[in-house]
Amino acid sequence: MAPLRTKKSTSLIARVFLVCVGILVCLPLIGAAEFSLREGGRTKHSFHAYRWIFEQEDFSKTLLTTLQISLVAVFVTFFLMVPTVAWLHIQGKRYLRFVEVLTVLPLIIPVVALATGAALALPAWIQSSKYILSMMYVVLAMPFTFRALDIGMRGRQLDILVAAARSLGAKWWSIIFMIITPIILKSIFASIFLTVALSLGEFTFAQLLHWSTFPTWVAVAAQGNILGATALSVSALLSAWLLLFSFTFFDRKKQNEAK
Amino acid sequence: MTSNALKISGLTRRFGSTVALDDFNLEVGIGELVALLGPSGCGKTTALRIIAGLEKEDAGRVYLGDVDITMRPANKRNMGMVFQSYSLFPNLTVEENVAFGLQMRKVNKSQRVNRAHELLELVGLNSQSKRFPHQLSGGQQQRVALARALAYEPEVLLLDEPLSALDAQVRANLREEIRRLQLALGTTTLFVTHDQEEAMSISDRVGVMNHGKLEQIADPNTLYNQPATAFVAGFVGVMNRIPTKSQNGYVNIFGKDYEAQFIGSVSEDVIALVRPEKISVHASTVNSNAKLLMKSFLGSSTQLTCQLSDGLVIHALSDSQECNNLELGSLITLQYNSKKALVGSV
Ligand SMILES: Nc1ncnc2c1ncn2[C@@H]1O[C@H](COP(=O)(O)OP(=O)(O)OP(=O)(O)O)[C@@H](O)[C@H]1O
Ligand SMILES: [Mg+2]
Repeated sequence: MAPLRTKKSTSLIARVFLVCVGILVCLPLIGAAEFSLREGGRTKHSFHAYRWIFEQEDFSKTLLTTLQISLVAVFVTFFLMVPTVAWLHIQGKRYLRFVEVLTVLPLIIPVVALATGAALALPAWIQSSKYILSMMYVVLAMPFTFRALDIGMRGRQLDILVAAARSLGAKWWSIIFMIITPIILKSIFASIFLTVALSLGEFTFAQLLHWSTFPTWVAVAAQGNILGATALSVSALLSAWLLLFSFTFFDRKKQNEAK
Repeated sequence: MTSNALKISGLTRRFGSTVALDDFNLEVGIGELVALLGPSGCGKTTALRIIAGLEKEDAGRVYLGDVDITMRPANKRNMGMVFQSYSLFPNLTVEENVAFGLQMRKVNKSQRVNRAHELLELVGLNSQSKRFPHQLSGGQQQRVALARALAYEPEVLLLDEPLSALDAQVRANLREEIRRLQLALGTTTLFVTHDQEEAMSISDRVGVMNHGKLEQIADPNTLYNQPATAFVAGFVGVMNRIPTKSQNGYVNIFGKDYEAQFIGSVSEDVIALVRPEKISVHASTVNSNAKLLMKSFLGSSTQLTCQLSDGLVIHALSDSQECNNLELGSLITLQYNSKKALVGSV
């Protein structure tokens, strides 16, 4: 085999590439962050806009609502999707492709149609609760959560591991929590992150079903205060990154323990 | 009362149009090691999975001792199973894997760790107890799987070709180790394999399966020397199939008559079933009936591939010293050395 490129030059190219991408991603963010820190003119900077956020009465109220909604959505996703996708990998391999197609539907069906459908089909007790949005977000996130879990389970021979666990005397819930969950932890974190991110950003549904959530409040607030709106998006982004990093960190720690 | 540890009666299982098990019956005595031997796709894995409760049967019953456990879920059957492919839990250490069955039985931590170490000691892997499965070799992984399946003293141990993913040397060692452990612990064991050497070398009895049915079950010696069906005769060991005629209970092999022992129906056109080691080979120029095609040196013995004058290829097994002077291509005389001959129908 002919040597294609020395290790050093490859890593140099990789580094240059990385820096370019970094600049491309970071520059607008830095710009936004800088903008959100302005106070009046170009020269004077302060956390004025951020202070403004916390002064808004509806900020904490709607954020709390959205976090509650996303928490429920995360739980429903976990208890609905993990066993379902696991079952597909263990016993229902022939349905896997079909279900995969099925999970794309929320991307194809217009949100308005979904909202109308929910308003017509779901029972009254859930209609009158804000957690109807949790159910909707589970559905909306499904194309992503399904894929995350599916990829995590692929090639893991879950069928044999489950058969082994069953013959060793494990009940189904022990199998889910002691075997499947640890093996696909990364994918579960990914789907949790996706569900939370979706709940924090989803506007149309909440608006259509007349619930006042964090995104709907941001939309209103942004009309009155451009600096505040920018500060909001910067902090939303930072929190999302923090969440992602904490997952990665946790995962690293797990892997180090494994060594 | 029975003295069987495990009894299977009338087990049937279909997958669409393929019949994986067809009225399959088997009894395994307490502390016995029975091997199920058969060609690929004959239903061995299916039988084992149904016994373990991992697969549903269409018909038939499974008994553990005198108790009908057909309806009992897999996790309540108290059986140990080792699988064909690696099945250790990747997120648990070796020790935790071995202790898993005890953990499921709510045994307290110190007790199950002790027991895990006991078993790891038995399979010679105590030093690896803190490692993870991916850090072990294939042979080591299967040893751990064996320890894991034995840790909670299962009533029956089920082994589904546990050695098939390993190389020859490791296989031979590990199969002896399995037998040693099985004898030491007295665990009733059902061992599935398609490797006859494996089955014959370590089993009390061997059951030969074909098309989802048990053709014959017997100790290795009986199976080899008195096969009950033509399939068993052909499947177990090397067997020459020589088309010939039978008359008054005698068959002609290499020009001489022998008393016929029929497997199946008696007819005129038959196949004589002749083991290679029952054929002697002499160099000769007169009265020769065959030509030497090939010699394969196997150590103390040598396999001789010969061709009869009618074109039929015959395998013979000879002492390596004795056949040293035979040259490839030379004319030889084949002789069948026995009073009786096994005879199957065409
Ligand atoms: N889940 C299944 N779906 C459809 N057919 C199956 C299934 N499991 C087994 N079969 C079929 O049943 C028959 C018996 O399969 P089984 O796995 O029991 O064979 P085996 O004796 O273990 O073979 P091998 O030595 O190759 O492992 C085969 O023809 C197989 O194709
Ligand atoms: Mg098999």
